[in-house]
Amino acid sequence: MTIKSQGGPGSSAEPTIAREQWGSRFGYLMAVVGAMVGAGNIWRMPYVTGENGGGAFLIAYFLLLYLIAVPGLMGETSLGRYTRQGLLGTFRQLFGRNRMVGLGLVILIFNIVLMSYYSSIVGWSLYYAFHALIGTFSQQDFDTAALWSAFNQNKLLNVGMHTLAMGIVSVILLFGIKGGIERMAKWMMPVLTIALVAIAIRGLTLPGAVAGLEFSFSPNWEYLMRGETWLAALGQALFSTGLGWGIALTYGSYLGRNDDIPLGGGIFTAVGNTSFGLLAVFAVFPIVFAFGISPTSGAELAFVALAKAFGGMSAGYLWSLLFFMGFLFANLTTAIAITEVGVTTYQEERQVPRQKAVLVMCAIIWVLGIPSALDSSILGYLDFVVGNWGLPLATFIIMLSIGWKFDARRLRLVSLNRGADMYVSWRWEPVVRYQIPLIMLGIMAYFLYSNLSTTPFKTLSGLVVLTLLIPGCMWWMRRHESSTSISTHWVEERS
Amino acid sequence: MSLSAIIVMLGSMVVLWGVANSALIVSMRRQERKLALIQSQGGFEPFSPRAFQDLQQWCDQHSDHANIAEVEALLQQQEEAMKAYPQRFY
Repeated sequence: MTIKSQGGPGSSAEPTIAREQWGSRFGYLMAVVGAMVGAGNIWRMPYVTGENGGGAFLIAYFLLLYLIAVPGLMGETSLGRYTRQGLLGTFRQLFGRNRMVGLGLVILIFNIVLMSYYSSIVGWSLYYAFHALIGTFSQQDFDTAALWSAFNQNKLLNVGMHTLAMGIVSVILLFGIKGGIERMAKWMMPVLTIALVAIAIRGLTLPGAVAGLEFSFSPNWEYLMRGETWLAALGQALFSTGLGWGIALTYGSYLGRNDDIPLGGGIFTAVGNTSFGLLAVFAVFPIVFAFGISPTSGAELAFVALAKAFGGMSAGYLWSLLFFMGFLFANLTTAIAITEVGVTTYQEERQVPRQKAVLVMCAIIWVLGIPSALDSSILGYLDFVVGNWGLPLATFIIMLSIGWKFDARRLRLVSLNRGADMYVSWRWEPVVRYQIPLIMLGIMAYFLYSNLSTTPFKTLSGLVVLTLLIPGCMWWMRRHESSTSISTHWVEERS
Repeated sequence: MSLSAIIVMLGSMVVLWGVANSALIVSMRRQERKLALIQSQGGFEPFSPRAFQDLQQWCDQHSDHANIAEVEALLQQQEEAMKAYPQRFY
């Protein structure tokens, strides 16, 4: 069980809907780590590690994980627990009923856009989990490249898988925080762990597997002097942990007032998420090297290279089933979390039952996701814009709001250290106030600099969209907030 | 496999899996302790002595701050909990 809220100081000043809470500590921890463990941990981290100096990259990564991701997640979760509201409600509590609430809307839009194309990735993993289940990959000399190519060209099938993915997400979310998200995460995450451990053990027994470990862990110290290594480590530490997207804030809003945040919501979430990345290194690269496959990342690694390698292994049916089911669970728990950000906010803003909020939000995401399902170049473009601009900007906004508007010290005193399993000292405050926002600005400036010459259209169009989005959202929310305020006064006067 | 790669691999396992598993176990045990206190005496003090000291210091230094009432209410809540619940969580 989690500890039920007793109100008191730190309770929201705004009226809120009677709020559900996590049913158990284990359930919350599995749900939050499941939210952060996604495709990137499995198909990106092993390759990024090997390509950026192996052990040297890992050292840079660990440093940044503890210096940035852990404190950032602590702040975001404790803000959510304090306000006990979704994105817009939280920004309204921080800034009042004015245009600044639009900053929350900006983050919400990033989440919806992110989920619109992430749903296609969930659809891919569903399709491959199905093929693993019917034994496609264990057939003799099966051409996985041809399957991937045929799947990509079949637009109807892609839309169908996107629809199925959103359908599954909707059904899980309809059961609520405790009955849906928590219940699923409590068995999906242990299954993912067991699947990766089993594959890793099998992979390590293959001849030539050690070369994969050598590629991943052998430290190339000169890489520590390269800016690219630190940037890659920073990107992995920030984007893999989902810091600043509103997920930790939303999940934190369902915590009890005296539940711990620093150890569970901070350290376990960030380090646990990365632990899955390390497990993926053990599960993926020994197999890749044992089968003489060129190390790569992304969809090609999972759906072509590994699918082929599993087919060549004894008991290939079992290994491919374990891998693709685990991969599906990793993607599904993330998709549920991203969608929940919108569901919680919509439910609070419109004061509607959860069921209606789930159906409306999933329908919006489904419609917006059709172009990405039809055309992978749209998916790539959205991923470029959201990944390069949207997510760093969202993190920048949330950290600035915590550090300066709410006041990092106040948050640490009244929320972060309340019921905490470990004490957080004043050193946390400058990290949230200065360090993370400055790093986010640096990341966005670097992306602009490095992409402008290679992909000028994508870079500039993304920048223009974002530049227009912020004032647009602020204008919209100013109108919305003032009209809500007027109607509230009118109702009060009439009564 | 080279010695340096082995060291990095083992170090990564300790830093990640070791810390994650320890955090999970400690967090679960502490939550069990909180629940046991709630069942046996109805509650527990919400702040550790150091966190409580921080709150007191802040109140002393910011007596005319806009958020003083909020922090004072938390201090009062902690003091009442210390009186009401003989068994301590922290």
